[in-house]
Amino acid sequence: MRILVKVNGDTYEREVAENRTLLRFLREDLGITGPKEGCGMGECGACTVFLNGRAVNSCMVLAVEADGATVDTVEGESKGPELSEIQKAFERNHAVQCGFCTPGMVMSVKELLRDNAKPSVDEIKEAVEGNFCRCTGYAQIVEAVLDLTGRASEKGGIGHVE
Amino acid sequence: MLSDKRPSELELVGKSPERSDDVEKLTGSATYVSDMSLPGMLHAQLKKSPHARARIVRIDTAKARAMPGVRAIVTGDELDYRLGLYVVDKRILARGEVRHYGEAVAAVAADTLMQAKAAADAIEVEYEVLKPILHHMDALKPDAPLVHPELGSYAYMAAAFTPQPGTNVANLTKLRKGDTELGFAASEWIVEREYSCPSVQHVPMETHVAIAKWERGDRVTVWTSAQSPFTVRNLMCIAFKLPHNNVRVHIPYVGGGFGGKAGIGVEPLVAVLSRAAGGKPVKFQATREEEFSLLPCRSALTYRLKTGVSTEGKILAQEMTLYWDSGAYADYAVNVTRASGYSASGPYEIPNAKVDSYTIYTNKPYGTAYRGFGHVEFHWALERHMELVAQAIGMDPVEFRRKNALRPGSKTLTGEVITEHTGNVLKCIDKAAEAIGYGRITPAEAEREKKTGWKIGKGVAALQKAPAMPSYTATAVFLKMNEDGTVTVNLALTDYGQGTYTSIRQIVAERLGFPLDKVKVSFECDTDKDPYDWQTVASKGLLMSGNAAILAAEDLLKNAYDTAARALRAQECDLAHDGEKVYLKHHPSKAVRFSAMAVGLALENGNGIGGPIVGVGRYIAQGLTFLDKETGEGNPALDWTYGAHGMTVEVNPDTGEYRVLKIASVYDVGKAINPEIVRGQAIGGMMQGLGTATCEGYIYDKDGRLLNPSFTDNKIPTAKDLPLEIETYVVETPQVDGPYGARGMAEHSMISVAAALGNAIQKASGAEIMHMPIRFEDVWRALNARESIDNWITKSPTGHCRSAPVQKN
Amino acid sequence: MLHDFRYAAPRTAPELLDLLEGEGAMMLAGGTDLLPNVRNGVFKPRLVVDVKKLPDSDRIAFGAEGLEFGPAVTLNDVLRSKDAREKYPALCACVHELASHQVRNRATVVGNVMNASPCSDTAPALLCLGARAIVRSKTGARELPFDHFFAGPKKTRLEKGEFLEKVIVPASSAGAKGRYLKLKRINGHDLGIVGVLMLEKDGALSFAVSSAAPTPVLVTGLRKGVAPDEAAAKVLAACSPITDVRATKEYREFMIGVYVRRLLSEGV
Ligand SMILES: Cc1cc2nc3c(=O)[nH]c(=O)nc-3n(C[C@H](O)[C@H](O)[C@H](O)COP(=O)(O)OP(=O)(O)OC[C@H]3O[C@@H](n4cnc5c(N)ncnc54)[C@H](O)[C@@H]3O)c2cc1C
Ligand code: FES
Ligand code: FES
Repeated sequence: MRILVKVNGDTYEREVAENRTLLRFLREDLGITGPKEGCGMGECGACTVFLNGRAVNSCMVLAVEADGATVDTVEGESKGPELSEIQKAFERNHAVQCGFCTPGMVMSVKELLRDNAKPSVDEIKEAVEGNFCRCTGYAQIVEAVLDLTGRASEKGGIGHVE
Repeated sequence: MLSDKRPSELELVGKSPERSDDVEKLTGSATYVSDMSLPGMLHAQLKKSPHARARIVRIDTAKARAMPGVRAIVTGDELDYRLGLYVVDKRILARGEVRHYGEAVAAVAADTLMQAKAAADAIEVEYEVLKPILHHMDALKPDAPLVHPELGSYAYMAAAFTPQPGTNVANLTKLRKGDTELGFAASEWIVEREYSCPSVQHVPMETHVAIAKWERGDRVTVWTSAQSPFTVRNLMCIAFKLPHNNVRVHIPYVGGGFGGKAGIGVEPLVAVLSRAAGGKPVKFQATREEEFSLLPCRSALTYRLKTGVSTEGKILAQEMTLYWDSGAYADYAVNVTRASGYSASGPYEIPNAKVDSYTIYTNKPYGTAYRGFGHVEFHWALERHMELVAQAIGMDPVEFRRKNALRPGSKTLTGEVITEHTGNVLKCIDKAAEAIGYGRITPAEAEREKKTGWKIGKGVAALQKAPAMPSYTATAVFLKMNEDGTVTVNLALTDYGQGTYTSIRQIVAERLGFPLDKVKVSFECDTDKDPYDWQTVASKGLLMSGNAAILAAEDLLKNAYDTAARALRAQECDLAHDGEKVYLKHHPSKAVRFSAMAVGLALENGNGIGGPIVGVGRYIAQGLTFLDKETGEGNPALDWTYGAHGMTVEVNPDTGEYRVLKIASVYDVGKAINPEIVRGQAIGGMMQGLGTATCEGYIYDKDGRLLNPSFTDNKIPTAKDLPLEIETYVVETPQVDGPYGARGMAEHSMISVAAALGNAIQKASGAEIMHMPIRFEDVWRALNARESIDNWITKSPTGHCRSAPVQKN
Repeated sequence: MLHDFRYAAPRTAPELLDLLEGEGAMMLAGGTDLLPNVRNGVFKPRLVVDVKKLPDSDRIAFGAEGLEFGPAVTLNDVLRSKDAREKYPALCACVHELASHQVRNRATVVGNVMNASPCSDTAPALLCLGARAIVRSKTGARELPFDHFFAGPKKTRLEKGEFLEKVIVPASSAGAKGRYLKLKRINGHDLGIVGVLMLEKDGALSFAVSSAAPTPVLVTGLRKGVAPDEAAAKVLAACSPITDVRATKEYREFMIGVYVRRLLSEGV
């Protein structure tokens, strides 16, 4: 089937197999490899992208369903040399380790902050519960969002035992 | 301590600069092997065994070979190779017999993934199903069938391991210290208990994936998501009998490993497929389900402890018997057995000790290294045991731990003498206890108990670990100065998220006296271009590569000074430098810039001197020895890192539901090179430890089929599973031979979390838990003295569950 | 990787019904059940019929009949609907417990009930609230109340050639308060070990239980003030849980009783 999608502001018209997931379409047909496959089953969130402005698991969306839609991935998060505020906060707060969950995590945080300018800690955790991160243990990710929303003082730290 | 400075003079070490790999990872431009595609690349799919144990009667690939797009099919019969790091017991594809559910029996490479899948489905395999050996204790029975009848013919590392041919024991590590009989005879109390835990998955978010190209002239190039490029190369060269300079292994960004990618994985398989397909590159990426059953997991453990204690609460004797279920293959798992053997008593002094640690073959997916390397599992047992022994003798468990903790002058199980520099486990225990208000319930907590009806309990558990590695483990680091005076660092230790490169960058910049932005650690590893490193495992990376990096920096400076001395017509001893230039101490205006010397200095008349400035640093572990095979005596430890967790939980005494309110973790890291990275490792490992403690584990049906090979029924912790409060502390007892005093800590955070949880739950509710993970139902059963469910292995329900993909032969 | 199928997104109901008659046709709403099942080889549709392009399929509105919503209304659409939040808090409580935020951005209530899983989280609310499904076929539409909807694990009473066009949650249950307790293995998103909803309306109590029987369970006819043990016994009598990888039958039974009593003592 022929589809027309706008990804990160660029329009693509492509012939795509009807059983192709949006995730594979982005990664293999368009070379947009920020979104990752961690399970292909909707559980882990590594494949999270925006579909018409909402975070979805692109491993459970058919590419043909995105015909006429707008898709945003982590690649569209910052234009130009500067990182976006979310990306900067992740960087400042050591919220990235292996980085495999990061592209999905950033998108989930982006949707959260669009709808909720000052989320509580519980709301932050809920927003990213669908994004598994095996490395960080999440604390520094939650702190990145706190920092981003003016609450750097609520962050934890490391204590030195004399 | 490898350092040129006093702690107060350090400018970069001890700070928390951002990670050097952040920008790529945050913008989606970091390339992982799973993102890669090469021109003409084929895709591989596997035919896997639906049985735990079966004889392969016949494999018919004719139909599959005729299918569109199929370029190569290989079966075990064509592949006469064995692989393994310590015991060479695994084939690339099963041959003759399948030994676990999910084992690969044939592989297809085709133009597209769909074609490969269709062809793999079309391969016909006829099996004669055999009765599997599922429980490792059953495998020890004299009449048990043998998983590896040919064990006696396998190659293995004889200095360290002792396979028992004719049995299912792939290795037995023994240790004898003092006289346990005398010790028990002198004991006031003797407590004997047994603890256990199931196999679990590492769950790197990026599953195993590799691309290989086997070109004419037997030149093999591999791109892989792995931890140890040189180990992949070495094992491939040994198996395929290829010269080492014919094989090149690249490792770009890696989406997590945790030990599961420490050794060799799917690389040989894609390599033989590529060879069969005439040299076209072939890619294989495991699905999440394959990650659970085709690729290795962590071994299950049954740990029996018998402890004799004096009237004063001193341990006089301890017998430690560890039964490790390595599953179908033991190539890496034997070393877990060995490491847990010599470390089995944890951070405590045992004057009379006996350890027998068995690696046992069964018909299940096979075990390998996993963060903590056995210590997570046996500390679960040991630190529960310390609690129960203390309880039995009527002593406070923390007091009991303090009394028996290793301190300067103590002797470890292998006879190593602990010194002032080894680290301080007492400080860790005390801080962990203090941070949670151990031993009392605050008024606020009492109020909370009243409101909820749930009971609050607090527990502490200590830990220790040394790197488990060959005694002669070595590494090297190259520094190359670029034309503008910046420096690029090459090493084959990989950074798959743990942040070592950022710390190495700080170390190099600190030693060079350069600003951080002048130093770059190059991410992609390449065995053709990077200097050797044994493996990225064991929490030895920072110490060993950090030392090599310091030595490399010193070598680079020496080369620069040599050129500068000639250029300035001075003696090297009269020179000093800053981030830009080398100058005469006495006349700082007389200087030569690094950028001028970087690729060779041109004198006024055009003569060149010096040549490109590089630095080479080599480091090899010092003073380690093989262990005596009968007594275990010797020096196995590069360094010992100690730690402790304190945990506060609340438990519903009726239902067994519980919540972790607080965890405080303390590690003696020697020196925190980058405190925020230390904290990231501390919390990341702690959460992984909580996963192991609360919900993770393999569940099999009675035929040995894995019932939960997916995230649907093998949950891992999410952000919502964070304890309400988390505190992280470091003790800094400098490591005498560590870079700026640092020692490893990235595995340690996962160790003893489960025991702290078990101890706190028992304190809160009285539930005596001997098996982890601790599910609510397990607490409920313990509270009601109901028979515990061992559905992790034999008594599990038979049949299909939503998360197990439908099986086809 | 999904096996091969065709895709169609009809724009009218008759067109959709024509397509549904084809061999191996399956409906697609949010795809969060369908596509994982295709990936695992459980479903092998020949044709996937997307319901989301039907006019008004994503409409959710409160009218004389009650809260009505179409087959493309996602769980987060429900949570964002002011009517749903204010008038049917029990529905929102259940919907909120289902999966993760991203999944809820796609998953629909209709897809959830059509999947007919014993552990469905929306079914308890629809059962207690007395909701009904409007089912359309070529011969017209019929009403199917949810207490007659589920026929067994993964089975509904829809016939071949029918699709679920609309859900109506009656106006008469607007304002009813409810609370849903879902026992999971982790705090993060997970399928339930058991889930119990208690709904209270004008002194009448009803309970619905997920993961406790081949189909979601509904128990009505209790009044406020009922003895907790009596209520628990009555609910348990309607349940027949199994042992599986998530928990044993015994623990499920025990926890259902606990949850009923907890809901009664703590209230909605
Ligand atoms: C990670 C994850 C977690 C989950 N957690 C939960 C959970 O906690 N609780 C829970 O209950 N579920 C859970 N689910 C299951 C799933 O998300 C829900 O059942 C969801 O509501 C299904 O809706 P959908 O729109 O995605 O359905 P789809 O997948 O589109 O469809 C589901 C079924 O209904 C059929 N169908 C769809 N629309 C119609 C229609 N109009 N008429 C007739 N048939 C139709 C389809 O053919 C298919 O068989 C989870 C799923 C995932 C992937
Ligand atoms: S890959 Fe889509 S949720 Fe895991
Ligand atoms: S950083 Fe590795 S999974 Fe999140």
